[in-house]
Amino acid sequence: MKKFTRLSMLLALSVALNVIEASLPLFNGYIPGLKLGLANIVTLFIIYQFSLKDAFYIGILRVFLVGILRTGLFSTTFFFSLGGVLLSIICMYLTKKFLKLSIVGVSIMGSIAHSTGQVLTSILLLQMSSMIYYLPWLLLFSIPTGILVGLICKQLIKFYDEVLSFE
Amino acid sequence: MNKNDIKLIVIVLMVIIILFSFSLFRKKANIANVYFENELLLEIDLSVDKTYEVDGENGKVVIEVLNNQIRVVEENSPYHLCSKQGFISKSGESIVCLPNKIIIELPNNELDTEVS
Repeated sequence: MKKFTRLSMLLALSVALNVIEASLPLFNGYIPGLKLGLANIVTLFIIYQFSLKDAFYIGILRVFLVGILRTGLFSTTFFFSLGGVLLSIICMYLTKKFLKLSIVGVSIMGSIAHSTGQVLTSILLLQMSSMIYYLPWLLLFSIPTGILVGLICKQLIKFYDEVLSFE
Repeated sequence: MNKNDIKLIVIVLMVIIILFSFSLFRKKANIANVYFENELLLEIDLSVDKTYEVDGENGKVVIEVLNNQIRVVEENSPYHLCSKQGFISKSGESIVCLPNKIIIELPNNELDTEVS
C-alpha cells in the first residue's frame, strides 16, 4: 500500500475513534476536557512508524475534521483541541528521541502534554488564569489513559508488522 | 513498560500533589464576577444570599448564592456540566458554561492583593 493511502486510512480511523469516544457516557462527565484520548493511538503510531511531519499533518487534519463533524469549526473547543494536539505531538516526539522511555512512557508524556496544552490554550483564550486549577485533575487521569493508549499502540505496531510481513 | 516509565509516573504524581496542595491553601472569595464572552455582566457580593438570572447563549442561566458559596442552578446545555459542578467558594475557582458562553469567576480578594 502506498504511504498516502495508509495515512488517509489512519486519519479516518482517528476521526472515528474521536467520535466514538465522545459518545461514551462515562466521559461526557464532570470534568471538562477529560477524555480517553483514543485518537492519540493513531498519532503515537504515526510518530513510531512514519515521521514527525506526517504526525503533524494527520493531527491537524483530525482537529479540523472533528471540528466540522462535532464541535464546530473555530469554536472554543476547537482551539483547545488544537493546542492540546500540537503540544502532545511535539512532546511525544522529543520524548521518543531523547528519553529512554518505552512506548507506554511516551504515550503518558503525550497525554500529559495534551492536557497541559488544552489548559494553556484555555488560559490564553478565555483570559482566565483560574483554569490552571483543572490541571491537576486532568493530569491525574492522563496517567491511566496514557498507559491504556500506549499498550494498545504497542499491540497495534506488533500486529501491523506481522501483517506487513505477509504482504 | 520499563523502569524509566515508572520513574516518569512517580514524577508526574509528585507534580500533581504539588499542584493540588496549591489549591488547598486558597482563601474564601468574597465577590464573584459573571462574564458573558469577555464582557463583565455582574459583580456579585457573596455575603448576600440571593438568586440571579443572566442571559446566556441558550437562554436564562440561574445563579444562586448561599452561605458565601455560588453555583449555577439552571441552564440550558447538552451535558449540564456547570449545574452539575455545584457550589464553589474559593478564590481562583470558576464555573465555565461553554455552551452558554457564561463564566463565573471568583477573583482574588482585593484585600489580599493589597497586602501582597
